[in-house]
Amino acid sequence: MSMLKLAFQNFKSSFKSYLSLIISLSFTTMILCNFMNLVDSGILNQLGESNARNVAVIIQVLSFVIGCFMLFFVWYSTNVFLTKRKREIGIYVFMGLTNQRIGKLYAIETIFIGLTSLILGIGFGALTSQLFMMILMRISEITVEIHFQFSLQSGITTALIFSGIYLLFVIKGYINIVRSSVLDMVSANRQNEYVKQRKILLVFKAIAGVIILVLGYYMAIKEAGIEVMGNVFIAVVLVVAGTYLLFGGLIPLIFQSLAAHKRFLYKRERNLWINNVVFRIRKNYRTYAMVCVLMLCSVTALAFGFAMKNRYDGIVHFENTYTFQVISDASGYRQEFASLIEKNNDIDVSSDIEILTIDSGNTDNPYAMPYALLAYSQVKKVAEDTGMDFDLPEPGDEEFISLNRLYLMSLTNDLVEEIDTINRQDYRSIASTDTPYLGYMQENMDYMIVNDRVYDELQIYGQKMHLYNYKITDASHFETSVKDIQSSEHCLGLVKIDPEREEIAWIKILYSVSIFMFMVFVFAGGCILFMKLYNDAFEEKERYAILLKLGISKKSLKRSIADELLFAYVTPLVVMSISSYFSVKALGNVMHTSLLSVNIVSVLVIVIFFVICYLLSLVIYRKNVGI
Amino acid sequence: MKKVLEIKNLVKNYGTRGFQSRVLKGIDLTIYQHDFIAVMGPSGSGKTTLLNLLSTIDKPTQGSVFLDGTDITRCSNTQLSQIRKDKIGFIFQDYNLLDTMTLQDNIALPLSLNGVSSKECIQKTKKLAEMFGLREHLSKYPYQLSGGQKQRGATCRALISDPEIIFADEPTGALDSKSSRDLLECLKMVNDNGQATIVMVTHDAFSASYAKDVYILSDGMIKCKLTKGSDRKEFYDRIIDMQASMGSDFS
Ligand SMILES: Nc1ncnc2c1ncn2[C@@H]1O[C@H](COP(=O)(O)OP(=O)(O)OP(=O)(O)O)[C@@H](O)[C@H]1O
Ligand SMILES: [Mg+2]
Repeated sequence: MSMLKLAFQNFKSSFKSYLSLIISLSFTTMILCNFMNLVDSGILNQLGESNARNVAVIIQVLSFVIGCFMLFFVWYSTNVFLTKRKREIGIYVFMGLTNQRIGKLYAIETIFIGLTSLILGIGFGALTSQLFMMILMRISEITVEIHFQFSLQSGITTALIFSGIYLLFVIKGYINIVRSSVLDMVSANRQNEYVKQRKILLVFKAIAGVIILVLGYYMAIKEAGIEVMGNVFIAVVLVVAGTYLLFGGLIPLIFQSLAAHKRFLYKRERNLWINNVVFRIRKNYRTYAMVCVLMLCSVTALAFGFAMKNRYDGIVHFENTYTFQVISDASGYRQEFASLIEKNNDIDVSSDIEILTIDSGNTDNPYAMPYALLAYSQVKKVAEDTGMDFDLPEPGDEEFISLNRLYLMSLTNDLVEEIDTINRQDYRSIASTDTPYLGYMQENMDYMIVNDRVYDELQIYGQKMHLYNYKITDASHFETSVKDIQSSEHCLGLVKIDPEREEIAWIKILYSVSIFMFMVFVFAGGCILFMKLYNDAFEEKERYAILLKLGISKKSLKRSIADELLFAYVTPLVVMSISSYFSVKALGNVMHTSLLSVNIVSVLVIVIFFVICYLLSLVIYRKNVGI
Repeated sequence: MKKVLEIKNLVKNYGTRGFQSRVLKGIDLTIYQHDFIAVMGPSGSGKTTLLNLLSTIDKPTQGSVFLDGTDITRCSNTQLSQIRKDKIGFIFQDYNLLDTMTLQDNIALPLSLNGVSSKECIQKTKKLAEMFGLREHLSKYPYQLSGGQKQRGATCRALISDPEIIFADEPTGALDSKSSRDLLECLKMVNDNGQATIVMVTHDAFSASYAKDVYILSDGMIKCKLTKGSDRKEFYDRIIDMQASMGSDFS
């Protein structure tokens, strides 16, 4: 029989046991395909050029992330598959096949799997592309016309990426088989290695793991200026390393100690499942750590999306504080402009304020933007007129309060004390606020609020201008008043806000994409654990057969399995939850928001999904071990 | 004396209708408390089949098996597993120790699963291990033990929940003569101490000579029963003679 035929027969006869592998591979392919298509289909062009460009960049970055993830995933799943297959096709050694031929058999068989996954993945990708876009746009609250559109280009790119990665690992597997000794092959399942691990080593790993993890948490939330990005990077490395050490050290250590403690161990099913955990963890700890890190990424991605969305809403709200902002050269025209606007519109609120801009020549850094000063009492008046909060203390003679814009993201996670110098006099910032007293005008400039005396003193160093702000009842009718306002000779400039403009709509896409990434990662994490347990079950089959022969009731075996699987799901979940608290907090610090609720909700979502996976694993595991 | 096991007209067929072969052709046997019985017979004579029927692993085509008064051929599966757990101990040819746990945990497993207090589990395990000369091996894993040690460990595991009866299928099948002798001495000792009733399947006359009674199974029927006198050596010779008289198919 030819190799090809034999391989095909093998593939056909054990298709069922490949199913989980094929499903997960085609799932990743489908996701990648959908993302590629999103860019290639041209639908984003409806968002306007700058938005489309931003979204395309985001999606390309995400495609890269998914690509990396795919690499990782294929690596992992082919590895699991290789150990399993090596054992099964190892038997051919007895039939006189050389390693090369067995390797070839493996390669062909694996390629069949890859091809099936690829075809399924791209097929489903094409079928779901429209749905995917619809959901994405719906979550983003963006209306674009969606018609069925699948670009061949994206299909081909996906196929190329997948095939490239996949072939790499097929070749790796082939080399592995060719290089392994006959004994290796035949006894691939006799892992009668040391069950227990050296305690000293475990203790060392455990301590190192805890220290590194705590250090990572500390780095993540440590207050820092511009070096915060470096800190975050170090924190990521530390947390990943710490997680691996934790699962490789602390958890085996705990369970080995439990197993050594016979008074504890000999209670019902503990004897079974705790020993099983000790036995398994040596091989499985990487999986648990990986799932843990993956979940951590997913929670952080989600929190990021939510933070961006929060900020976006904040900014939109911020910009829409006033409909019109008239820049004028003189004070006292608030009523005049108001009557001009009221020809066609009703005014909701209005305010006016004087702005003093100090020439750069009089400041300590002549090349920077000029400083803009506001008088404390006037800001207070604006707050009274518009009903905005005002709880700022009056600055002293050498102090000021900075009035800032809302940042989408800042590169620092703490507020460094600022000192500004005007006319060789230092002013120290005592507080800062981002209440939109000046509306859109606050977007492009930072303002210093000083007390009235200082304001009067400094008048000679700069120019004054006057700002009149109006918010009309029906902001979408703003066009009708533009001409009227501009007809006044005191109107030097006019800022008008269109409530429907979508200058930064790409953030909304970022938000929905982050939700999507969250789901993908969570799904992948659940899948990996599920696959691992699915495969483990086959190895456990013999043991459970023995236990049944010994007359141990199915009920206690079921309980033992339930406990063991619970461990497999709960441990990564717990470690992840703790880590996520810090990663999300770090994110919240950079974005200047609290994301605790997002954190809790996302962890809950993962818990729910894992419960489903757990129950499914339980059923499948029992079936596979024959209980 | 108390009857532990009573078998009446036990028949077992294998295969589907039309292609059936009768492996056991009506076996009657009664086993009393403190018995040590060996079942011998040529390969394919149905020894394992008989043992599987007695030990509730398989169900007979006809006939009944009373274990401690209950007919196990009419029990539901849950009842059977309860019976297996409480009344039966097993020793297998290939030990069947779990390689995931230490010898001590293996021995304690049935007891701890029964909900016995951990203190008692530990005590009993230690006591049995002492009796079987396994004390210093308790913390080892099965792969660190010799075959004989493993089998003695398996015997401890079978004994730990004080079963009514112990079934052993070729317990010495995979052991060398020294290890076999150690194991058989142990079995004899627990039997003499009144701790166990034993039914052992073997095709080895030497092993059989440790029993009190030997039944010879051939062609699905019990051909004869030999009873030990006072001397094991003499009993062994009688078994060998019997084998010889039965012909060449007796391995
Ligand atoms: N599951 C089965 N299905 C069909 N026939 C079977 C089955 N199990 C055993 N047999 C047949 O029943 C007969 C008795 O088998 P059994 O295993 O009881 O023999 P044995 O006395 O234990 O032999 P040995 O000394 O070789 O272990 C054999 O002919 C065997 O082929
Ligand atoms: Mg047999």
